[in-house]
Parts: sequence; C-alpha cells; structure tokens
Amino acid sequence: MKNQKTKECHFCVNNLEVDYKDVRTLRKFINFYMKILPGKRTGVCAWHQRKLATAVKRARVMALLAATHK
Amino acid sequence: MSKTKKSNIGHYEVLFIVPNRFTEEEAKQVITAVEGVITKNNGEIDYREYWGKKKLAYEIKHNAYGYYALAEFNANKEAVALINQELRLSNDVIRHQIISKHIKSAEEIAKAKVIQEKINARKKEEAKELKEKNEKEENDNKKEKNEKEEIKTDKKSNAKELEQKLEGILNAKDLI
Repeated sequence: MKNQKTKECHFCVNNLEVDYKDVRTLRKFINFYMKILPGKRTGVCAWHQRKLATAVKRARVMALLAATHK
Repeated sequence: MSKTKKSNIGHYEVLFIVPNRFTEEEAKQVITAVEGVITKNNGEIDYREYWGKKKLAYEIKHNAYGYYALAEFNANKEAVALINQELRLSNDVIRHQIISKHIKSAEEIAKAKVIQEKINARKKEEAKELKEKNEKEENDNKKEKNEKEEIKTDKKSNAKELEQKLEGILNAKDLI
C-alpha cells in the first residue's frame, strides 16, 4: 500500500538489464542492512527479481557491495 | 552424452581484483599477465575495461583497496575451467569471478529497439499531458485570482458607500 506508485518493474519499464557491476542501481533494491528487499517491496517483476538477487550476490563476491553493514 | 553440433564456445566475462601492494604500473603488468593466461588457453579477448583503484566493500586478505579490471572473452568450457584454476592459484589476484554472458542476437537487438521506441513515445506523451495539465491549472489559478480581485473591489465600493451613509446619519444626529 505504501509504494503503490512505484509498483512497476524498474527494469521492464525502462528496458534495462540487471548488471552486477552497476552498484548504484543495485543499492536501490537492498536495505540499510544490505539485505535484498523482497519483490513485494521493490515492485520488480518476478523474472527480474531473480536476476537481481543473483546480481547482488555476485556484487558481494567481488566486494562491490558489503554483505552486512558495519 | 549426445553429440550436438552446437559449438562449445561461449562468451564469458571475468572481473578480477589485483591487491593494493602493487603500484599502478605493476598492477597493469599483472592485468596483462592475466590476459595472457586467457589467450594461452585459446581464449579470444574482445573487450577490456580498467576501473582503477577502488575501495573494497570489505577487506580481502587484509587488503582494503584493489585494482579492478574486466575482460570479456570467447572460450570453450574446458579452457574456462583451466583459466579459473590458474587465477585461483595465482597470488597476484586476490579475487576473480568468471560469468557466462549472453550475446544478443540481431533479432533480440531489433526487439529491444522497438521496445525502446515505444517507451520513448510514451514518455513524450506523458510529458505533453503534464504540460497541458500545468497550463490548465495555471489558467484556473488566474481565473480564481481575477474573481477574488473583483470581489475585493466590490467590497471596497461597499465600504465606501457604507461610510458615506454613516457620515450622513452622524451629521443628521448632530443637527438634532
């Protein structure tokens, strides 16, 4: 109910691809504790949410994103 | 395994981190060495990217900083496994990640283009609608302002009339 305005898939609407190197966009889909936000909250479609989850995990492996907040 | 005619060669992307103990020039040498490992295993590099020195999100083997470099290459599965092993054993690379990347076919590119055009058209329409809306609102605001001013002037004239009447009454009282 809170984010009813943003209930459109960010990647479908803007014709973007999920990239694990693009930390700036990934940052939008994780919370303060660096946890991946659920699709319900992000409004991303299921197909892109799956890509997003793997992208965040890949970014974590390459130390582009932290796994936890300090 | 069934023998398929599909070629075994895929498109891959490797991102690796060179530790901070090297200077920038030495790091570049390490990067060329890594590219040498790829070419040695029959990999064809077709894209290179150097990100420079970056702060790591967390320390890796007591390194807070590292030089990031990216390379895209075509190779077969066995070669990728060998490259992966060599990089893993190397002390000059603290972290690396090989990812298979999908190459877009001409059809997909054309599809994406069509979608992009649609998106652009929609954005234009939305902008137009917004403009019209704003103009309407401005006009409405102006109308309201004019009406308010008219009312104000009316009130003023009323006040003047009232004053005149009052004065008249007061003067009449004085006469009595």
